[in-house]
Amino acid sequence: MFSNEAFAQNAEKYMDTVFRVAYGWLKNPDDANDVTQDVLIELYKTDKAFESDAHLKNWLIRVTVNRCKMLFRSPRRRHEDIDDYAETLSFEQPRDGELFKAVMALDKKYRVPLLLFYYEGYTTA
Amino acid sequence: MTEKEKFQRAFTPLHASPDTLTEVMKMTEQKTKRPALRRAATLGLAAALVLALGSVAYASDLGGIQRTVQLWLNGEMTDATLTVNEGSYTLRYPDKDGTEHEMGGGGIAIEDDGTERALTEEELFEQLNEPEVEEREDGTVMVYYLDQKLDVTDKFDEDGVCYVQLEGGEKTIYMTIKRGNGYATSTTKYILPNEFNN
Repeated sequence: MFSNEAFAQNAEKYMDTVFRVAYGWLKNPDDANDVTQDVLIELYKTDKAFESDAHLKNWLIRVTVNRCKMLFRSPRRRHEDIDDYAETLSFEQPRDGELFKAVMALDKKYRVPLLLFYYEGYTTA
Repeated sequence: MTEKEKFQRAFTPLHASPDTLTEVMKMTEQKTKRPALRRAATLGLAAALVLALGSVAYASDLGGIQRTVQLWLNGEMTDATLTVNEGSYTLRYPDKDGTEHEMGGGGIAIEDDGTERALTEEELFEQLNEPEVEEREDGTVMVYYLDQKLDVTDKFDEDGVCYVQLEGGEKTIYMTIKRGNGYATSTTKYILPNEFNN
């Protein structure tokens, strides 16, 4: 289990990674924030000994995807339009927003792997 | 610029809400287990973002203020006993055969200044008034909304999608149903089937 200080550092360091993966899966920022919160609480409670940052990050992403799958089964999931959410984001250039929307229009079996490959630096192996 | 750099620029603006970390830190400082916040539900409030739990069955009496109410359940006006306790409710009601049923729900609201409060009775009632979809074992699909009981079984297209416009509340509700795969509602437009539960 982490000390409070170590937990706070890791929570801050990885919360955006967790959120991006959750959003990539769920396409809803409220749901993605809920999942982020759940995953961080799970991190706080776990007794697991992490060997490295990479190990911790892998664990967080796995837990995030599992949480998303659980939430995804709920018939009461709400929807937020991608365009509406994109308008709230500060893209450096319009083409960044276009790429964001194009990726989010893909099926989730492509969205999340793309995010992990291009953004989080995972390999395809 | 490489593809990776382009992709990173497109997704860098995505950040978890700062409130998420604040809430997590509060919870860990208290070192007590609390129910996690659930997804936001628009309950027609201008000033508050309402986070609501879906309806779930409760077995125990939560205490709180109890009173008899009349409300629409599955399209029927039903007498029920409503118990409201700190933002959650328990509803007990008899079915046509006289068998007692119990259901519940609840949640919290987060005000603009970040403070949390329990849902009011009015907000809880809003939850109870949301449309519901029932897919029965015989394949029949029913939509319930206030006093309306719609059999939409034959309204599905070849892709197993059905669109229903619901009137009767303060706003028109546009509902998209995917057979066996949930439904989505909006007060502005039909949500496309590929935009949810993919």
